[in-house]
Amino acid sequence: MKKLSFTTSTAQKIYDDYLNRVSRCTRTLPEDDQREIMMEVNSHIYEATLAATPQTEVEVLVNALQSFGAPEDVLQPLVADKKVKQATRTFNPRHIIQALYLNISNGIGFVLFAVVYLFIAALGILIILKLIYPEHTGLFFKKDHFCFLGFTTELPGGLTELLGNWFIPVVAVLMIILYFLNTLLFRLLKRK
Amino acid sequence: MYYICCMNIEFVQNWFSQVKKGTLSYIILIILDEKEYYGYELVQEIKIHTTLEVAEGTLYPLLNRLKTDGIVDSKWIEQESGIPRKYYTLTADGRETLQEMKKIWLNLGSAINKIQK
Repeated sequence: MKKLSFTTSTAQKIYDDYLNRVSRCTRTLPEDDQREIMMEVNSHIYEATLAATPQTEVEVLVNALQSFGAPEDVLQPLVADKKVKQATRTFNPRHIIQALYLNISNGIGFVLFAVVYLFIAALGILIILKLIYPEHTGLFFKKDHFCFLGFTTELPGGLTELLGNWFIPVVAVLMIILYFLNTLLFRLLKRK
Repeated sequence: MYYICCMNIEFVQNWFSQVKKGTLSYIILIILDEKEYYGYELVQEIKIHTTLEVAEGTLYPLLNRLKTDGIVDSKWIEQESGIPRKYYTLTADGRETLQEMKKIWLNLGSAINKIQK
């Protein structure tokens, strides 16, 4: 991308600092998206400075940047949208966490998705606990009635673990299904 | 004078802010229906035709959303300056969407006019 050149060092520094802020706002996105946003902001600044009435270089630039707005505020919805797109396309947990973080203030729906992801993570912890404490972790029944799914330090009489060696594969499959379903629903919610 | 003193300015400002948010995409589609525009030019066009005072940068997330929804399309066009412009156009879906929005807007306007009488 061709950057703008200013004759005064103050204007150049203001411009460079602003682009650095844009870069920081978009750094969690794929490189193509980062480049696209940077080019668009750069083009806007260039056109705004070109169309400005004659003033000092610094005044022209500062007015253009103020009119555009703080990148942390005005670009946030754009970064949040693109992050969801990347997260739900790749199913990468790191991108999903970042997308949730960026969208968590956008409504209760995103909080619910975060809760489901936390539940999936809790299932993962149960698999680890099953390996360490096989007797104390599982799907427990008491007198033919479902009691709980999880870990217990005590094993009172009458409590029966149903899945045994099948616990880990069953929970792993449940995790995968929930993860994919939740991610697909996340994509649908963001489209609305 | 009495009216100005007693109206709830904060309530009106919040309401106007919501109206702005809700109508900006409609305004963009109307403007893009004439011809293609690049980002900065589109902002200026909005400013000329409306009293909307929005931070210019807020337009880009909205344009991206419209593009994701298949309502607008965009393409980079190189310039002699070396700084390319990104031009936005309405897609065929976008034109149909705009026609539907116009109908809704007219119906809403006439309904409000009837209530206000």
